[in-house]
Amino acid sequence: MNQNPESSVSPATVELPLKEAVEPADQEAVAGIIERAWKDGIPVYPWGGCTQMGRGARAVEPGMGLSLRGLNRLVDYPSRDLTVTVEAGLTVAELRHTLARHNQRLPVDIPNAATATIGGAVAASVAGPRQFRWGTLRDYVIGVRAVDGSGMVFSGGGRVVKNAAGYDLCRLLTGSYGTLAVLVQLTLMVKPMPEETAFVIVEASDHGDAERILAHLVRTRTLPSAVELLAGPAWESLGDGLASRGGFWIAVGLEGSPDEVSWMVDQLQAEWREAGVALWHTLHGDEAWAFWDRLTEFPWKAASNNGDGELLVQFHVFPSAVCELVQRLRASQPRASIQAHAGNGVVLARLDIAAEQAAAMVEQNLRPMSASLGGRAIVLKQPRGSDLSRQAIFGPAPPGWQVMQAIKRQFDPKGILNRGRFLLG
Amino acid sequence: MSSNHEPSKSQASAANPAASIGFELFLDCVHCGLCTSACPTYTELGDENDGPRGRIYLMRQIAEGRMELDESMRRHLDRCLDCRACETACPSGVHYGRLIEPFRLAVEESDKGLAKRFDWFRELVLFRLFPYANRIRLAMAPVRWAQRWGLYGLAERLGLFRLIPGRLGQMITLVGPPVDPGKKLPSFLPAVGRRRARVAFFVGCVAEAMFRHTHWATLRVLQENGCDILIPQGQGCCGAIHYHAGSSEGARRLADANVAAFELDGIDAIIVNHAGCGAMLKEYGIHWHDERQSARARFAAKVRDINEFLDQLGLIPPTGRIEAVATYHDACHLAHAQKVRDAPRRILGQIPGLELRELPETELCCGSAGTYNLNQPEMAQRLIRRKLDNVLRTGATIVLASNAGCLLQIGREVRQQRRPLTVMHPMDLLDLSYRGMGLRP
Amino acid sequence: MLTAMKAPLLAKLRRCLGRENVLTEPSELVVYECDGYTIEKNQPDAVVFPRSAEQVAEVVRLCNEYDVPVIPRAAGTSLAGGCLPVGGGVVVMLTRMNRILEIDLRNRMAVVEAGVPNLQLSRALAGTGYHFAPDPSSQVASTIGGNAATNAGGPHTLKYGVTVNHVLGAEAVLGDGSIIQCGPLPEPAGLDLIGVLVGSEGTLAILTKLWVRLTPNPQDYRTLRVIFNSVDDATNAIGDIIAAGIIPAAMELMDRGIVEAVEAAFHFGFPLDAEAIVVIELDGLSVSLDWQQRLVVELCNKWHAREVLQASTRAERELLWKCRKMAVGAVGRLSPSYCIQDGVVPRTQLPRILARVTEISGKHQVRIVNVAHAGDGNVHPILLFDERDKEQVARVLAAGEDILEECIRCGGSVTAEHGIGVEKLALMDRLFGPTDLTAMRRVRDAFNPAGRLNPGKLLPSANGDQTFRVGASRRALP
Repeated sequence: MNQNPESSVSPATVELPLKEAVEPADQEAVAGIIERAWKDGIPVYPWGGCTQMGRGARAVEPGMGLSLRGLNRLVDYPSRDLTVTVEAGLTVAELRHTLARHNQRLPVDIPNAATATIGGAVAASVAGPRQFRWGTLRDYVIGVRAVDGSGMVFSGGGRVVKNAAGYDLCRLLTGSYGTLAVLVQLTLMVKPMPEETAFVIVEASDHGDAERILAHLVRTRTLPSAVELLAGPAWESLGDGLASRGGFWIAVGLEGSPDEVSWMVDQLQAEWREAGVALWHTLHGDEAWAFWDRLTEFPWKAASNNGDGELLVQFHVFPSAVCELVQRLRASQPRASIQAHAGNGVVLARLDIAAEQAAAMVEQNLRPMSASLGGRAIVLKQPRGSDLSRQAIFGPAPPGWQVMQAIKRQFDPKGILNRGRFLLG
Repeated sequence: MSSNHEPSKSQASAANPAASIGFELFLDCVHCGLCTSACPTYTELGDENDGPRGRIYLMRQIAEGRMELDESMRRHLDRCLDCRACETACPSGVHYGRLIEPFRLAVEESDKGLAKRFDWFRELVLFRLFPYANRIRLAMAPVRWAQRWGLYGLAERLGLFRLIPGRLGQMITLVGPPVDPGKKLPSFLPAVGRRRARVAFFVGCVAEAMFRHTHWATLRVLQENGCDILIPQGQGCCGAIHYHAGSSEGARRLADANVAAFELDGIDAIIVNHAGCGAMLKEYGIHWHDERQSARARFAAKVRDINEFLDQLGLIPPTGRIEAVATYHDACHLAHAQKVRDAPRRILGQIPGLELRELPETELCCGSAGTYNLNQPEMAQRLIRRKLDNVLRTGATIVLASNAGCLLQIGREVRQQRRPLTVMHPMDLLDLSYRGMGLRP
Repeated sequence: MLTAMKAPLLAKLRRCLGRENVLTEPSELVVYECDGYTIEKNQPDAVVFPRSAEQVAEVVRLCNEYDVPVIPRAAGTSLAGGCLPVGGGVVVMLTRMNRILEIDLRNRMAVVEAGVPNLQLSRALAGTGYHFAPDPSSQVASTIGGNAATNAGGPHTLKYGVTVNHVLGAEAVLGDGSIIQCGPLPEPAGLDLIGVLVGSEGTLAILTKLWVRLTPNPQDYRTLRVIFNSVDDATNAIGDIIAAGIIPAAMELMDRGIVEAVEAAFHFGFPLDAEAIVVIELDGLSVSLDWQQRLVVELCNKWHAREVLQASTRAERELLWKCRKMAVGAVGRLSPSYCIQDGVVPRTQLPRILARVTEISGKHQVRIVNVAHAGDGNVHPILLFDERDKEQVARVLAAGEDILEECIRCGGSVTAEHGIGVEKLALMDRLFGPTDLTAMRRVRDAFNPAGRLNPGKLLPSANGDQTFRVGASRRALP
């Protein structure tokens, strides 16, 4: 076993009650560590790049820190198959770099790519603006290997893009926050890299106008990769003196061959002109690529005070309710910065707030706001110093809760994985 | 069948109704189930027993001697419309009609051996009235009389016909308001303009009694397209009603009379304008195996549906504008039995001004299916409602069908629901265009 | 089922659903003894036709009370025996739950009851500019509920993904008779139960309602048929196209044997001496299709394509697709019986697996023709035989098994879209290790602890209990 119990593996940004922390170098070692913890009944707190550790409640029970960063091998990359098999601790940046050499990519936006690991991203099912056309990690994970709460190593799926054999354990584990098993290896589908990109951006005067513009996109002949609705202080400027007049931006991201992108830009502009929508700005080339990054990084990019006072909430509503939700958010919190993946009904709101007010804000204001539109809300990041309960962070138990609990008991009977941090923790 | 009568086991097994069916016809079915959704009764009921795959399976159980025909199986098999939509859907080429039709014939035959209640409707109406156009016309006289005096519409609205028992009541309501039938058909009509073909015309029974105006329209269209037309004497009913109601012998006699009536040399085609008759005529060669089989096959080879024929000949485009929205219903016996689907659409598409909208579920039977609407009124009712709902969804004001049964069935539902829809044969509409008459009330 | 228990259960079912929605006569049950897979048969004890999720739940509760298996079924087109009432029980037909409840274009979503046929939804969407992307070859008959239960695929999965990529939400009845609704909004705090339910072959729950994603119709198509002098050339060209960064909507391969059958059935005009024909469909924005087509043609020519022809009319495209989709059925014209396999390998292993299929064909003296969703690495070797010749049947079984073993060796799987059902149970422990199967059993036990939902499917039993365990003689025919 090649582990490194040095304190250096402990993530500086995360407050975990660790008895010890280990960074095993291979998958068998991970299994061994978890098996030992299982026998001893000690909680295990796994992490990768620690970029999403703000999610979930603060753990209280002392346990074992398990860094997966030692598992960072590229296992197999048959690029002509459009699949790649990697260990969970490989950073997203390294993965991107490897894929880019073959003109391929994983079309899922994962922020902080330099430190984020692919395993961590899958465990948290991180997704960004591109989910409109390209889906989320659930659509790309075709094979997993993981270690359950007793140290048992198991696999699901395989290396083929189409597989109907058995239950889809890949989807079960994607987005399960490491509460069922610790991911050690993944096989992903990848896609060809588009050559060109652009953003067509318009400004809406109010939420009704925004909804009209978004509803018009249902009929578009273009194939947008992203449909974003942006509002608030973080989006006051597009740079180069392009300042917002205080309304909403709607930014449509287009990707493809140069021919396709230039056709889609013209087409979308024409469609909008015809609908009486005033065009505002179009981004091309490097500017557009940079804007993708800005959209991807927004939620986790601290605006002020190192982000210490920030509350970041993610809402899920029907796309048709996005504008209404954003309007209510703005009415209630004029200083909130808002990014909505409007085509998917995902709304992110970032606000500065005192730690002691966070719980009330979420439970009495924000969550009822989404519930009244038939949606849900979870906290992605709480202000430093606040201590939101799991209930406050995640809201009421989701439908199918009993089944989820039964699955949890099956995979982690002693409840050692991420104990106390997530709904199923 | 009366409930107090129990057929003895020996009787039932002595006459296995599947005995005459070649077993290899069953083997063509690979049980994939792709036919099910094409079947009107399965679509309505969702029961495998009421779908083609299930019915084939049931018949095969009987053929293999694994089971004996009982009441419930018979109910499911009787519910089949024999529309043969499943044949269109089947990828492996199962000849469903060649399974269900002989099977039903055999069941009817074996019924005769039992002390069966006299089926007055079958014996008197189907077998003695239907094959004869003049008898149908005579039988319709009271209905026509009532119509003339305005009593019919009243009775229809009040639902009085429901008081007339069962199938007869069903049948009376099918009779639409009177249309001027035109003169008696002559024995010859010359082509207009350059002669392009010489054809013989099949007249039929119900078609002649109730759709003579459509015959005239068809004949005029043929003339406009350069056809000399012979209308041979001595022809009669095609035999389909007999055959499908279980009287193979009666059908064979009618078939042979028709074969004798038509002189095949010197004509390019035998034209038929109702799909049910057309399908029967085209199958004369396969139904009976005797010394006249090859003569029937030669006859069958000449038969063409009017749509099919005009399409192959190359329609001389009509010029009279008809500003209307129409939809075309695929008669089962044209689309499924004869595989004629595109020809009517191509022909109707050449009428100036006409907008032809596709009918949703066009391939689903309207419930008429020969005498099905008389024998299975409940299912027939479900299907015609579904059909008319689909028609209304298109927004069309004209619904077209190339078959007498469909025209009657759709027409009745249109009247009963009082919908502003005109029900026509494609030739009726085409004729109006050739004559530059537009749509008349 | 024990007769003593049967009568009261049937009485309760009738009371709950109405007499007309319960079949109990042997002569009415016989057609439910198998689905699209006919080598194994077993009659259920009853067939019921519920009309709502509540009725399905009530049926499940009653069956629990009497300890009777429950087998969900709709169109019954499974090729793997997914609807086989292995131990008898009550077949729950979802065909009378066939309403399209809502088409919501603003949210790009449709809500349907489980028994809606796939094609019915497509037809309802005509003119909206949107479609439901999964298009299994059975789509004329198979239902959305069945498609979801088996995670159905089809030719266009190459670009658009399989059913699970298009299901947003599900209402389902669990093993204890409770009803849950997952989605249609994502559940960020919990587990992706929809992802697990889709493809679970009715062993975790009975799907009663689905929220499905609608996909915009492509602006334009280019449908090519390319004739190659060898299967190797064809598969190499397919690999090069993908490697060049082009994802066609579909790439379908037919070998010489199947072309012969298709020609007999549809008279398309394929040359009968062609070793392989590939149907390539590009779709998307018109502006990009020309250069994509040029590149595709170039790559085909690099692999010595004999002829590349483009379907010039919509009718020609439709006929081409009809030929492809009906190809399997047309095989009935070559041979009295056939067995279609469903293996999948990584795309680059396509030449290897097809070469091995040829060797296996020779080794077992079984004629095999091939169709393949080649872009996905999904092969459908079709083994031809006469079911009346027992010795041939045995050779076909052995050959089928060899093919699937070879798929596993290539890094693939034993089924890409047909599912495990009962047909491939015995292959599960060759594809997966013991702990993998343990993990799957845990999932089943969480949803369906009593094991009454569709027993004897998908997972071989843990204790090697032979009741539900399928031996070699029970597999793969016809």
